[in-house]
Amino acid sequence: MTFSFKTRMTATFAAAILLILVSCTKSDDKNGNTAEKPAEQALKAKVQYGKIKEVQLTATIDNDLAHKGGKVFDVTCTGCHKYDERYVGPALREVTKRRQPEFIMNMILDTETMIEKDDTVKCLLQTYLQKMPNMQVDEKDARAVLEHLRDIADKK
Amino acid sequence: MKSKLFAVIIGASIVSIALFITACPSTKQASVGDSDAAAKVYVAPGKQDEFYAFMSGGFSGQIGVYGLPSGRLLRVIPVFSQDPEKGWGYSEETKPMLNTSGGFVPWDDTHHLQLSQTDGVPDGRWIFVNGNNTPRIARIDLRTFRTVETMEIPNTAGNHASPFITSNTEYTVAATRFSEPYQFENTDVAIADFKDKFKGAFTFVKVDKTSGSMNIAFQILMPGFNYDLSHAGKGKSEGWFFFTCYNSEQANTMLEVNASQKDKDYIAAVNWKKAEEYLAQGKGRDVKASYMHNVYDESTHSAHSEILNTLKTLNPAECPGLVYFIPTPKSPHGCDVDPSGEFIVGGGKLSTVIPVFSYTNIQKAIAEKNFEGDLYGIPVLNYKAALHGEVEKPGLGPLHTEFDGKGNAYTSFFVSSEVVKWGLADCKVIDRTPTYYSVGHLVIPGGDSKKPWGKYLVAMNKITKDRYLPTGPELSQSAQLYDISGEKMKLLLDFPTIGEPHYAQAIPAELVKDKSLKAFKLKDNHHPYVTLGEKEARVERKGNEVHVYMTAIRSHFKPDNIEGVKMGDVVYFHVTNLEQDWDVPHGFAVRGAENAELLIMPGETSTLKWVPKKSGVHAMYCTDFCSALHQEMQGYVRVSPAGSKVELSANANGSKQ
Repeated sequence: MTFSFKTRMTATFAAAILLILVSCTKSDDKNGNTAEKPAEQALKAKVQYGKIKEVQLTATIDNDLAHKGGKVFDVTCTGCHKYDERYVGPALREVTKRRQPEFIMNMILDTETMIEKDDTVKCLLQTYLQKMPNMQVDEKDARAVLEHLRDIADKK
Repeated sequence: MKSKLFAVIIGASIVSIALFITACPSTKQASVGDSDAAAKVYVAPGKQDEFYAFMSGGFSGQIGVYGLPSGRLLRVIPVFSQDPEKGWGYSEETKPMLNTSGGFVPWDDTHHLQLSQTDGVPDGRWIFVNGNNTPRIARIDLRTFRTVETMEIPNTAGNHASPFITSNTEYTVAATRFSEPYQFENTDVAIADFKDKFKGAFTFVKVDKTSGSMNIAFQILMPGFNYDLSHAGKGKSEGWFFFTCYNSEQANTMLEVNASQKDKDYIAAVNWKKAEEYLAQGKGRDVKASYMHNVYDESTHSAHSEILNTLKTLNPAECPGLVYFIPTPKSPHGCDVDPSGEFIVGGGKLSTVIPVFSYTNIQKAIAEKNFEGDLYGIPVLNYKAALHGEVEKPGLGPLHTEFDGKGNAYTSFFVSSEVVKWGLADCKVIDRTPTYYSVGHLVIPGGDSKKPWGKYLVAMNKITKDRYLPTGPELSQSAQLYDISGEKMKLLLDFPTIGEPHYAQAIPAELVKDKSLKAFKLKDNHHPYVTLGEKEARVERKGNEVHVYMTAIRSHFKPDNIEGVKMGDVVYFHVTNLEQDWDVPHGFAVRGAENAELLIMPGETSTLKWVPKKSGVHAMYCTDFCSALHQEMQGYVRVSPAGSKVELSANANGSKQ
């Protein structure tokens, strides 16, 4: 990817506009878990953006699926996420408690749409200044990652 | 100030005079013509070209990929060359691609390109290119635009008539330009013994239908002439291959004069289906040879080399019907077969006519044994019997002919610096247009296949002179785009190219672009030093070798603090790009590296070998702008004096992450 200075300037300018358009209040707890006001609302609201409209969760954790998801997570996600502290992106220990499963699935599978449209994600970008890349995970693997994240939520 | 004002007034008056003049109808017409040409090559920002054009990079050893009609340079593909931009030939994984039986040869002279074909039509799977100097053929995968295989050609010096292919890419061929003593005979001979000891060879390299993998099927042992260019038969002439030759005088000095004595040289017509029959009958003779085969494996992101030691040969004197010579005036270069396969055009550099042979007549002459004699046991056909017609007074120095699929041929003329359009049926000149300057080869999209797409012709000129802003004694190369959709050819555009483009291929973009790979899948990465996730990132010592299992993702390396390297160590940075998104390569550079940077595609692993020359702390960083925090993508490696007690570690001593 080659960026000219001009492109960078344009990107910076666009980011500045974004700052004006979306007003975010954020609170970071000591563990790097970030909660934003729009996110709290989003947890209750129906999913607005992204291709995954509904995810069926089982009452108990599917251990096999979670194990598989852990493996995908290690290869694909650990470059930017840790469980209990902020890294390139947010800590993910309790992500399933603060985000809908559909939101998590769409962040993995339909990253570009979420970054472009979802207010919560726009706010996250202001904090982390790094767009989450689409890692070309397929839907099955993304579902396994979600199960893994559910599994670790209470295992600290 | 005063003089400036004066200049402005003068300038303004010139403009108003010019405005007045442009009111005349004749001038207006000319300006409409210019804007028409501009509109025809204008590809608006964000829009894409209609054709890919692949042009040999000549003595750069590379291929230039351009868009047509814009002439925009899209990519340079290193083939027989190292390319610091991409780390090609510098990374440990790609170095073997440049191995030959004579060692590491990181340069060559690429001349001719051939797109793979299915049923005589370019299919956009692979492109083949020859290495002229250290004879090789390379295959480039058009999913990745990377060289994936090279095959060295034995008994060949100057692999010129190559890598022309058959209609279903059954074979790509090689032929020696400089005859030489065969490797399997005594090679230490006096040059004066040329006529006795120097021989030629046509090599048929089999291409696997599915994988594209090459292996030398057989070599035909030919008389010691200079073999120049070739093309496969197609349609009617399917199963045949045609090669031009010059220096049938067999001169070994001052060829300029001594190889221009005879009025006619030859086109060798080879029946390769017959060769297959002879091989099946066991007529092939195994001889000793030594040639290198290099293959790049996409799953390990690594190339390996293998030396091969045997070769199957066929002797035409013992295989009747395998090869015939067709007399061709004079020192012919191009050997071009029209889309129907009926006409074979010889481009006699010193000839005053363009001879057009008829496949039907050639077959008739063979059946009737209408021969004027034989050479080294190879029958020589009667010139007139094989001929369809001659294009008379076409121009000076005909070289190469392409076809538009509408019954027209276009021949380049080096000496008279022009392209001449003529009719295949009647051999009559239809149009001629100048080139700037001294055109070598031509390309029409699909112009040497069964199905030319026509529309454009690109002339690749040998001389540039005043066409562009001067850049010192060395100038860019000059290509010119012509509209050939009408009766008359029309010059649309000049655009510069790299190296010296000898030959090119062009193909509609949709046959290539939709297959283009966006990223290598991490889960398919079987590199022995892959780092699948940051958890695996680490450093390991094996004696004095230090292996760094490093990951790269926007925007950090892991590990990014390395200590315990000592003077005398050899450090291998095995960098895995964890990205899986399109257009997110990461670069890797470390101070003092004597090779080049790495440029690692998403999902790929590449290795930089680094032998520190100074102790101290050395910076390393990402060289390819990857994100807003690209400038933060950096790290340090500490090199301690030899014998130091510092333990090898990665991100130890409290350095975060």
